[in-house]
Amino acid sequence: MSIILQARNLSKYYQMGEVTVEALKGVDFDVFEGEFVVVLGPSGSGKSTMLNMIGGMDAANAGEMYFKGKPLHGASEKVLTQYRRDAIGFVFQFYNLMPNLTALENVKLSVEIAKSPLNVTEVLEEVGLLDRADHFPAQMSGGQQQRVAIARAIAKNPEILLCDEPTGALDLSTGMQVLKLLRKFNETHHKTVIIITHNAGIAQMADRVFYIKDGRLDKIEVIEHPLSPEEVSW
Amino acid sequence: MLWRKMLRDLRENKTAYIACTIVIAIGLMVFTSMSIVIDNLNNAKNEFYDTYHFADVFIKVKSIPHTQVKQLKNIEGVDRVQGRLVRDVRVLKENSDKNIYLRLVSVDLKEEEPLNGVHQLAGFPLTSGEKNIWIGSKFFEANSLTMGHELFVLVDGKKMKLTVVGTGQSPEFVYAMQNVQNLFPDPEAFDIAYMPYEDMEVLFANSGMVNDIVLTLQPGYTLKDIENKLEDRLKKYGLASMVEQKDQLSNVMLTEEFKQLESTVRSVPILFLLIAALILYIMLKRLVEQQRGQIGTLKAFGYGQKEILIHYLSYGGLIGFAGGVMGGIFGSLLSESYTQIYQTFFNLPTLKNTFSPKYFFMGILLSMVCSLIAGFQGSKGVMKLQPADAMRPSTPMFGKKVWIERSTLIWETLTVQGKMAIRNISRNKGRSFFTFIGIMVTFAMIATMWSFQDLIDLMVTDQFTKVQTHDVKITFTRPLPMEQVMRELESKKGVKRVEAMLEVPVTFKNTYRKKDVMVVGLPQDSILYNILDEKENRIVLPKEGAVLAQSIADSLGVSVGDTLHMESPWAKEDILYVNVVAVIPQYLGSNVYMEQNALSQLLRQPKVATSLLLSMEETFIKALKKEYNTSETVASFEQNKQMVEKFQELVGSFAYMIWVMAVMAMVTGFAIVYNSSIISLAERKRELASLRVLGMTPREVLEVISFEQWTIGVVAMVAGVPLTYLLKQSMASSMSNDLYSMPVSTGASSFLVASLGTAVAMIIAQLSVARKIKKLDLVEVLKERD
Repeated sequence: MSIILQARNLSKYYQMGEVTVEALKGVDFDVFEGEFVVVLGPSGSGKSTMLNMIGGMDAANAGEMYFKGKPLHGASEKVLTQYRRDAIGFVFQFYNLMPNLTALENVKLSVEIAKSPLNVTEVLEEVGLLDRADHFPAQMSGGQQQRVAIARAIAKNPEILLCDEPTGALDLSTGMQVLKLLRKFNETHHKTVIIITHNAGIAQMADRVFYIKDGRLDKIEVIEHPLSPEEVSW
Repeated sequence: MLWRKMLRDLRENKTAYIACTIVIAIGLMVFTSMSIVIDNLNNAKNEFYDTYHFADVFIKVKSIPHTQVKQLKNIEGVDRVQGRLVRDVRVLKENSDKNIYLRLVSVDLKEEEPLNGVHQLAGFPLTSGEKNIWIGSKFFEANSLTMGHELFVLVDGKKMKLTVVGTGQSPEFVYAMQNVQNLFPDPEAFDIAYMPYEDMEVLFANSGMVNDIVLTLQPGYTLKDIENKLEDRLKKYGLASMVEQKDQLSNVMLTEEFKQLESTVRSVPILFLLIAALILYIMLKRLVEQQRGQIGTLKAFGYGQKEILIHYLSYGGLIGFAGGVMGGIFGSLLSESYTQIYQTFFNLPTLKNTFSPKYFFMGILLSMVCSLIAGFQGSKGVMKLQPADAMRPSTPMFGKKVWIERSTLIWETLTVQGKMAIRNISRNKGRSFFTFIGIMVTFAMIATMWSFQDLIDLMVTDQFTKVQTHDVKITFTRPLPMEQVMRELESKKGVKRVEAMLEVPVTFKNTYRKKDVMVVGLPQDSILYNILDEKENRIVLPKEGAVLAQSIADSLGVSVGDTLHMESPWAKEDILYVNVVAVIPQYLGSNVYMEQNALSQLLRQPKVATSLLLSMEETFIKALKKEYNTSETVASFEQNKQMVEKFQELVGSFAYMIWVMAVMAMVTGFAIVYNSSIISLAERKRELASLRVLGMTPREVLEVISFEQWTIGVVAMVAGVPLTYLLKQSMASSMSNDLYSMPVSTGASSFLVASLGTAVAMIIAQLSVARKIKKLDLVEVLKERD
């Protein structure tokens, strides 16, 4: 398996008034193609900062980061936008759907800027929302909205599906549906999925778990036999 | 502490609030400066009129003995009466082929407080017996004269020497135009000269006679009361015209200027304040919505309704105050240069600029009241909020379909960004409407301003290229036998065509309405003076009846088919009747046209001409002019080309004002579009940041906002077209008079310029929004919860 993401000594500080907060303190990791990774840590551990780095939304203060060998550290805003556009499919904790676009249109929105998108209708069918295609976000439940958000991310056919607490706002059963979708995408399309969460239960379904603590990568656990989403509990 | 919060809030969106302040300031600048100028002009005018006893009635006769004039005092209602000699003479200036005229007005040196007295500006007192004159100071400067300068003028074909001993100014010629057609004073070519009566009666061999009478009325009387008696007495002396003070040429021009200034003061500031108030309202409404949490917290702390409301009102108050002060200061400064401009047009000796604290404070008050009302409307929602509700986020908006989606054909061609934009229009209808109004007004303002160019083209250029197509017009001092003079001119070198023209002063009556006009008699086949209808098609003068300018028809209340009473000092009979056969638009001046022979027959006069129109080769004009330069029968020799040049010079200075106004309109447009974008941006920060995270470039994200604005913009611009016509219609009706009338038609070029101007304002606004989108901190925005 080839490396898709590579981080070396990745560091990030925030200046909060007169105090410097070190959010990431020299983190090293590799993520392989087609892998299912869970980044686990309590709040304030630096996992959101890591998500921002991986997602190309924020630049590191020090260290290096490569996507398929191409440097992302020190890249221009233009390069980062292109990276987000082509390589990353984002799933947010609070869905962040466009309120005045229907489910179908929200998915089309991301397809319009993608290089080799998937079929919109098929993707919506995959997430089980074809019958809701014409609904606006305000007319859907949280779980449905998150499924639209996943469809929106998947439809771009990105190399990496990057999920920020995707089940954070959902109850157990809807959360499980969402996880199933993520796993399905990982398996059928052979794409990398990275989930960032504080929920240790989800970690059980990953190939590898990155434990983040106090801005450092505490340990990486390889799970020999990942659980299926149905078996996961929290 | 809340004060500090306000200042910081304002700073956060400083461009938007500054734009709003500027819009207020522009409005108040116009208000303050124009109001001050009106006061300045009014004071100067009243002072001048009072001190120098401006007459109430102005009468022109052919010739009347001085003794008879004195008898007019017996008429009940007449207060004071004075007779004068008034004659236009040509000035002979070496090395100049320009037509220069002076209007010699006799002065009674024995009179202590003469009517239309002359205010001496410089030089020495007038003395009789030495052909001394006082001359208008503008002419004096324009021709770089010195005291004691000798001017040579042509009196009945003879060259006479006059000596300039001083400069003077009378209330009668505050706006010194030779005649109605000129529209603007040209101090180099025309002014008034004042000369002792004793010298003038000798100069014109008019011993004991006068040709001009001025009188004042006793309180409570108007010209109408004594008109008939005056007519009876003066008819035998060749009564030519009788006008009241309100119709006196210089006074009319002054009054017209007041009317225009006043209508500007009444309309422009209100327009700007309204726009500013709208901007403030929308901004504050949004701010209150955005700060629900903060308001809840404040309420939870124990801040009262009133304190919080006052806090939000202070935003409007501060902006109103700042705009008011700025407008007041700049307006006061601007009034200085405005007054200077008026000094060059109007000869008012005491005209000067005075700072007026009245308007300064009125302006501030006006703008604060406006801003506070807007602020209150925007922020009154604060009072309804309960602390607990206030801290909870407001209910999310509900996406829904819009009517345009029913047309699948259009809908499917849109990108998803386009669809978002279209739905956003109905998402916040109030703000879309505000943007719509703003863009529409901007467009209409630019179009109206710009169309003044076309207007001047129509009024002036057309007059000299399409109507008056002759090269030269020779006007005689008295009517001459038509065939004889035509034959003479036809034989001259370079003359291609000669047409005779007969200009007759008449009074038209229709029931109680009355109008003094000039009837122009032209040959039926005239090609040197064309009568055009509104589509600029040539009208062939009928063998009978008259063609009226629209403004004359309006003021007499007649239309085609009606019959008019007509009186003329030239007519053999007292009352004549003439049919109205056509009504035409005439923008410069207002005349009545008749076929030459029909006019002569009506008056029962032999065929005579008062002037000749020539079409001739350019190279021979100079020689011809020289030949007739000293002829006693030639009063003036006008070249069309020179007239056009003169007007175009004037138009040049006007163009500058148009630019200024157009730029002001664009600033307003910018302020509106910018503010509405800023608000959209604030409202949709999270949405737009999400789009950025999805991988859209800042430009693609901007498209969502800009597509929405362009959609509204295009519709608004289309709506601006009828608004332009409406604006111009109201301007035309308030500005038209006997001297000129404003055409309402607006050329395509004005709309093109307006579209461009509006588009530029929108693009500039969007560029600054684009910068804000680029700076959106994705991490921060996404961290915030809805």
